[in-house]
Parts: sequence; C-alpha cells; structure tokens
Amino acid sequence: MRPHKEIRLGPDRPYDVIVCGAGHAGVEAALAAARMGVEVLLLTGNIDTIAQMSCNPAIGGQAKGHMVREIDALGGEMGLTADVTGIQFRLLNSSKGPAVQAPRAQCDKKAYQFRMKHLCELQAGLTVFQAQVTGLIFKADAVVGVHTNLDLAFHGRSVIVTTGTFLRGLMHIGSNKTEGGRLGDFSAKSLSTSLLDAGIELQRLKTGTPPRILGSSIDFSKCQEQAGDASPTLFAFHDTRLQADLFHVEQAGERLPGWAPGSNQVSCWMTEATRTTGKIVQDNLHLSPLFGGEITGVGPRYCPSIEDKFVKFADKDTHKLYLEPEGRNTDEWYINGLSTSLPFDVQLQMLASIAGLEKAVMLRPAYAVEYDFAPPTQLYPTLESKKMAGLFFAGQINGTSGYEEAGAQGLVAGVNAACRVKGLTPLVIGRDEAYIGVLIDDLVTKGTQEPYRMFTSRAEFRLLFNHGSAEIRLKDKIATFGLVPADRLQRIRAKAEKVAHWIEYLEKLTITGGIAGDVIRRQWESTPPNLPPTFLSESPEVQAEVLYRVKYRGYLERETRNARKLHDLDSFRVPVGFDFLKAYGLSHEARQKLAAIKPVNLGQASRVSGVNPADISLLMVLFRTG
Amino acid sequence: MSVPDTVDTIVAAATPAGFSALAIVRVDGPLAATMVSAALHRPTPLAEKTSVLGLWRDGEGAVIDQVVAVLWRAGRSFTGNDSLEITCHGNPLLVRRLTVDCLARGGRLAEPGEFTRRAYLAGRIDLTQAEAVADLIHASSERALASARRMLAGELGRHVARWTDRTLQVLAELEAHIDFPEEDLPPEDAHGPAARLLEIASELSGYARTARHDGALRAGLRLAVVGAPNAGKSSLLNVLAGAERAIVSPEAGTTRDYLEAPVAGLPIALTAIDTAGLRPEGTPLERLGMARSLEQARGAHVLLLVVDAAAAPPVLPAELLALLVPGRTLLVANKSDLPPHPDQRDFLPGITKLTSCLLDGRDADSLRRQLGEFLISREIAPGADDLIVGVRHAEALSRASVALGEAADHLRAPIQTELAAAQGRLALDALGEVVGRIDNERMLDKLFASFCIGK
Repeated sequence: MRPHKEIRLGPDRPYDVIVCGAGHAGVEAALAAARMGVEVLLLTGNIDTIAQMSCNPAIGGQAKGHMVREIDALGGEMGLTADVTGIQFRLLNSSKGPAVQAPRAQCDKKAYQFRMKHLCELQAGLTVFQAQVTGLIFKADAVVGVHTNLDLAFHGRSVIVTTGTFLRGLMHIGSNKTEGGRLGDFSAKSLSTSLLDAGIELQRLKTGTPPRILGSSIDFSKCQEQAGDASPTLFAFHDTRLQADLFHVEQAGERLPGWAPGSNQVSCWMTEATRTTGKIVQDNLHLSPLFGGEITGVGPRYCPSIEDKFVKFADKDTHKLYLEPEGRNTDEWYINGLSTSLPFDVQLQMLASIAGLEKAVMLRPAYAVEYDFAPPTQLYPTLESKKMAGLFFAGQINGTSGYEEAGAQGLVAGVNAACRVKGLTPLVIGRDEAYIGVLIDDLVTKGTQEPYRMFTSRAEFRLLFNHGSAEIRLKDKIATFGLVPADRLQRIRAKAEKVAHWIEYLEKLTITGGIAGDVIRRQWESTPPNLPPTFLSESPEVQAEVLYRVKYRGYLERETRNARKLHDLDSFRVPVGFDFLKAYGLSHEARQKLAAIKPVNLGQASRVSGVNPADISLLMVLFRTG
Repeated sequence: MSVPDTVDTIVAAATPAGFSALAIVRVDGPLAATMVSAALHRPTPLAEKTSVLGLWRDGEGAVIDQVVAVLWRAGRSFTGNDSLEITCHGNPLLVRRLTVDCLARGGRLAEPGEFTRRAYLAGRIDLTQAEAVADLIHASSERALASARRMLAGELGRHVARWTDRTLQVLAELEAHIDFPEEDLPPEDAHGPAARLLEIASELSGYARTARHDGALRAGLRLAVVGAPNAGKSSLLNVLAGAERAIVSPEAGTTRDYLEAPVAGLPIALTAIDTAGLRPEGTPLERLGMARSLEQARGAHVLLLVVDAAAAPPVLPAELLALLVPGRTLLVANKSDLPPHPDQRDFLPGITKLTSCLLDGRDADSLRRQLGEFLISREIAPGADDLIVGVRHAEALSRASVALGEAADHLRAPIQTELAAAQGRLALDALGEVVGRIDNERMLDKLFASFCIGK
C-alpha cells in the first residue's frame, strides 16, 4: 500500500510514528521515517515556524559542518536546504589539514524554513498538522499516542519527542519573565508533567540569544567586512545528488537563469564590545537574572552571555562581535556574541557603546531561556527511552544545543522509530564512523551537564572524519537502511570504488620522483603536478579524497587500527538481562553507574564515567563465563 | 534475602601461616561491623579506629581466642568499605577457627590481592600504588623498600598527574585554535607549545630510564668474584659477607665450584659469587670448574677481579679478559700489607682499582663503601634519590615521551596542528595507562577555563 497523507483519529487507526515538534530535529525525524516507508504524523504548535532558526542564522562550522555533511550522506535535508538558502559560505580552518576544515553558511532564515516546510508537504506518507502536544498516552510500559490542545488525541506505534526549548520554557529579560520556548511562542507545560508521570527525569538548562537590529541603523564604515569564499564549499554531496533535488523554494520547478548555490553572496561584519560595554555590564550585573540567582539552569560554556565574558575573563577589555544578516528579504541583523539577559534599557546602553551600533535600532531584545531537558542517559543508543517502549527523544530535549546536533539526532530517531515499527535492527552509528556516532554515544553514555555542542576534539578518530568522506564512511549504513534513492546509492558506491582504486594504484604507479604515493607525501604543501591525466580528470571530490587518504596514510592507518580496537570492544555485547548490580568484584560506583546506563556493549560500558579498565577486564570474564 | 546492591564481605589471614606471637585476620565489607560486635558480644557498634580487647566467640558462644579488633568505617578505610582487623594469638589453628567463624557469619574467602584491588577500584589508590603494595611486601633491600614506599605514597601518580596536566594545557591551546577558529583567541603560536611538549617528553624519558634499575631492586644484583687461583677470592667473599662462608687455604685451587653469599651492609640486595680460580690451562677437573666460573662471570652485573698485588700480574684466560670491561669491573689488589710488584701499575689500564688486605676483616667497611659507590657511579645500582619506575611504567612513559616528541615535530613547518593533537592524545593515553584513565572532558575544561570562547 502506498503511504499517503491523512488526518486519522482514534486508537484503532494509529500512525506508525508521531513526531512532536517540527524544529530541526523533528523535521529530519519525520522525513527520515516517512522515507523508510512508514506513516508519519508531524505535529507542530505553529506551522509557520517549521525548522525555524531560533538563534543565529547560520548552519555548520567546526564539527557541526561535518555533521551536516553526514546528515546529507544519510539522506537528510539540512545540507541541501542550507546550500540553496545560503547567502554566505565560508570554509573554516582552510589553512589547516582537511580533517579539521569545515563548511559554514549564513542562511536566509525564512527561505530555509519555507523549503523545509515545503519538503514536509511534498513528502509521501508524511502528514503535517498544527496542534500543541499536551501529553503522552501510555499503555503499560509503552507509549501509544499523544493528547493535543485541540482535545484531539492521535495514536501512534512510536512517538518522537522533539520539543527544543519549549518544555516549561521560561524567558528572562532582566526581571521580566515570560513563559515560552522562544520570543512570541508558547511554553509546553503539561507535556513536562506527562513525562514526569511516566517516570522520566527532567532537569533544567539555560541558553540565550542576542538582540536583533535593523541593518539600516548600522554604521558599517566602523565595522570590518567578512566576505564569503569566492568558491563556496557546500554541504550536500552534489556529486551523487540529482540536479532535481536542488530547488530553491522560490523557484521550484523553474530555476532562475545563472542561479547556483553560493551565487550572489552577502557579507558579515565584525565589530567589538568595548571597555565601555564592559563597564555597563559590570554596573548592571545585579540586574542580570544570571547573576542574581533567578536562573538556575546551566548555560553553555562555549556560548557565554556577554555578562559571563566580562566577568570570567575580566582581563580581556574587548570581545569580538559578528553582525550577521538574517536573510535577503529582510533588514534584520543578528549580533553574534552579544547574548544577554540584562534588562532592556541596559541592552540599549550596551548597543550604543559598540562601534558601528551607536545608533542601532533594536527589533527584538536579547533574552535567556530556561527549559526542561531529559538527561539523555535515560536513552538507549537508538534514542529510545529505557523506561517507555516506543518513545524516542531527539534534539534539545536531550540536552544538546545547535541545529546540526538536533538534525542529526532527529534523523537517527526517525530511522529507529521506523525500524521499530517494521521490526528491523536499529541504526546505531559507531564513534569510529561519524561525528553523529560520537554525539549519540556521548549523550547516552556520559550525559551532559551543559547544553552539549559537538567539537572535533570530542572525536578520538577525528582524522578519519574529514567532511568530504561522509558518504564513503557511511555507505554500508546508507545501503542497509535504504536511506537514499537507489540511483544515489549507486553513485556513492561508484565513488567509493574509484577512491579505493586510486589509493591503491598511486602506491604502485611510478612518476617523476618515485612512487606517486611517496611523492605526494614528500611534497606536503602542494599536489605534485605530474599525476596521471586520468586521475586529474576525476571529479574534484574523488581527487580530494584520494589525495587526503594517500598523504595522511600513516596517520589514518594508525587511527584505523585504534578504531578497530574500539570496534572489538563495541562488538562485545552485554548479555540480555545481565545484572550489573550483581557483578561482584566491580567497584560500588561502577556497578551503580553501569546499572543506570545499561550499556549495550563493552565499548559503551568502558566509556561510562567511573568505570576503570580493570572493571572492563572483569566484565569480559563475566560475560564469557556467563 | 540479600540486598543485591552491596559489596560482599571478604575474609583472609594477613599474616603467614606458622607459629608466632600474634596473627592478623582481615575482614572487608558491609558485614564487618556487625560481625565484630556479635562475636565480641558487644551491644553497641565499635568506635572506629579504636583498639578493642575482647573474647571472640563463635556462633555457639564458645571462645575462640582473646583478640584485639580495630574497625575502620566505609569511606575512611583503605578499601573504601567497612574494614576490620582482628589480631589474635599466632597459632595457625586459632587463625583457621577465626577465619571459619567469619565465613560462618556471612563472609567469603578473599582472593589473592583482593583487598588492594578493592582499594584501587574504590579510587583510594591508583594503579602504581596498587602495584607498590606488593613491591613493598616483597622488597629485599633498603633501596627497594624506599622506592616502594615512595611509590605507595603516590609519588609516580603525582608526577603523572602533573605531566598530564601540562600536556592537557598545551593540547587545550592547540584544540582551541582547531575548534574555535573564529574566536577571539591569542595569536596561534606553535613554538611555545612545541617547546613545552619537548620539555615534558624529556622528563618522561628521564623517569622511564630509571626502570633499568628495576631488576636490581626486584631480584638484586649478582657480583662475581673472579681471578687467578689463590689470589684471595674466597677471602674477599668472606669479607663482603661478613661471615666465614668459603673455605680459605693457602693451597691454590681450594674452591672448585662456585659459592654464593649475600653482601652485608649495602642498601641494595647483592649476591657475591665466589668462583674457581682461572688460568689459561689446568687439569680436566679444574677446567670444568673454570667453565662454571666463566658462566657465572657472564651472568653477573658486576665483576670483582682479585689480584695478588705482591706478585706479577696474573695470566688470565682470554675468555675472562673479554669480560673485564671498565663499566662493570672492579679490581681488588689484595695483600696491600706487602710491597707491590712494579708491573701491577700497568696491569689492565682503565679498570678501577682498590687496594686492600683481605687477611682479616679490617678493610671490610671501606671495601663495601667503595663497592657501593662504584655501583651507583656506574649506574649499575640506583642512587638514594632515584624513584625507580617499574618496567610496565617505563614502557608507557617512553611511549608517551616519543608521542610528545612527534607532536612537537608536527608543530614545526609544515605545521599540522591536528596531527600534533593526535600525538598528544596518544601520550595522554599512555600516561593514563600508568595510573588509570584520563578523560577528554578535562581537556575541554581547561580549554574553556583558558579562553573566552563563544561568539
């Protein structure tokens, strides 16, 4: 039966998967599940805010850009949407090695949302409906549906919760408190209660966003321009994608002549918060709910408020700020670096103290938001709850921050919710395969104390994760789960084979100066000019991947060896029903932690904090002897 | 019903089997406190860390022995659990009955090393300290004791903590420039971090080198006393041993087979081996003895060549001359009470020479002192200030040192920060193997504490 779209009510006509929330996690979850051939209902409190970028108007950056490419490899939409709605593209770390280079793009916020909304509307088997989820329906230890504010209940075999910052969201501007997950939006309160009733633990986190101002009120002559790259690095794998995928929402069907992703770029601008700004912050610190103790949630260290910057790094007089346009058809600008929860009048004073922003006209104030998250150690690596069967969590509710982290989890949760319905083995990506694997393993194994953001330094096999290799790395998973159309899979396989062929061949081929591989490694800073023409006629993607793998061969081989060791531990499965509390000989702490985390294999067990290598040796013996 | 979420209680005798004045039985685990109160018929729990004298009775109320019991409470004991030491009279039968009674009260027999293992798993001691417990128990010399004591006090662990900390700090700076290229960071510098990494690498390799003394500490050193027949080798052995071990006679060839005796009065364990006299020729029986002497000489850490200083230099077999290298040979010129033979001065140049009269023990102290100094100066034995790391530690420390050196290499043109960071991580893993594990979170903590990150 062909999956179709329809509103279905009543317990006897359940959806396969219900997704609660249509942010970056929810959209990828819904699309992935629907593309796996199950019937999906995507519920959102407001259809006009599907895939809204609540904070900065940018996708990618270090580790995040890597993850977007992995999402694209796994058939997700974040990469393509960022490409076609991007208005400025930059490759970060271009002076460093390929493994740590990452694409980043400023996106047109509205265009981004529209394209995602349109994709959901076009997707077969995916029904979008506007309703706020007010609670979950449980039957024994499983979720079976959701209640909404319209007094409508929807039933589903699996439910994915992607509520972002909306769970008991509380915004702070000075002493002003407003309930809501985002300025102008609502707060999901009863859903928190419903989760607590189900025995799911919730804690508080905090994040913040800077003021938005009118571009016409910025004196750009006092700021420093930061232009995009002349030749943009895109997120999606256009070498294996079809041209038809590449539509801009304003030009569906008919593409404007000369238009291509990355054309007609706009600039960002740099300025800085001054000593005067610092003094204003210091003088008004008592008015900040962050410092007055009103905000109890933990905020991210890597994205501190301006209060935090001036207080914790008091020796620094100035702090860099970036002015980023929010789109082509708006004059709203985002001040990256000026996140604060100080009162509105103090925000105005601060703006006036910044070069170029002396006369800035504010469109929206900065604010901090506190929200509930469910500590992700309550999840299996599939992102399914250990407490309630069929209940999946993805995105900020798992304690992460960032669109990319959310999208990655959404995709995995979507695939696994579908797998559960179809009775398939779930998708679990290893730490040695992709940043997405590192992300989910960190979350479910270690949990997080602050909003979790991906860094390349979190991945122990970072050198294997150059952004260009995402499809090749994940090709087996892509094939097993049918995540991309057959013709694209074929192109991915063909690319992987070409790369493998050239890597082998260049180690045999003699060119001027010796074996090609040796020449490439010797001429570290440039590519040898005398490589065979047949190689130079391969696609730039194939050439870049081959050269990286040949040039870094020794390092990559060592990383691969280490990865294999991890893989061995990961393939050592914990016997079903194994009781860690009764594993005498382990330390008390180790048993407690392991019993709480319920690792599925020894590798995961070894990464639980408080577990020693000696504990792992002992577990190995216990598992062997049963 | 037993509560699953508890540690079980283990029991073992802590003193060797045999008759002695006192013996100790140790009990560790949650039952320890109730066990001792019940056995001593005391209505209230024992005060912690306080000796309590009482009669230990079995479940039937029969007295096993008068004992002194000391209880440590969980969190403040060696193992982290409630822990009990029972001192009874040193009769193996009593120790057995006491142990069996503890088992009857819910304990189980401990496996070898289990108390220490519990202390390690509870995080009370690190891996180097756990290893040092056994080293301390088995130490056979002053220096081995001193080194084990320092290890047990966590000295290596503290060094590793400092090396780790310094490496993490450098890595945090490198990672900041990798992960936050857009941030307001100090200008990227490769020279400073490279120099700091090399400094750590050199300290690591210095400590790793001390492991060459590990064998000397564990098994002791072997010293072969060699020389021509009747030079006074057996006399020297007796002087070093401080006892009449070897038969001494004016007749050449009295010693036919080798004989061992511990050298007294040195801080390291040293076994002296008296060997049969060596000369280029001899009877078949003598030759058999000489072959054994050479075998002992080859296996020894140090050779003492005894020479009759009053006679012409001896003619020694070529096999022995080949073994007499300056770094490990000491020449003892015997019979210093007689006028020296003029040709002795040019005999074996480069070899350290001591003059002595081995007739009685009068030169014994001076000989031992000079021998001790020779061993330390030639790095055959460790000096008093050296912390001696084990072979396992040395292997990991060397690996860390090499990795840091390579990391520093990557910080020279062409600069490859991510490769330097990868090597830095290998170094941290290796350091982690010495003591336990190092979490990457700590690097991030350093990074965020050092730089104002976040746009």
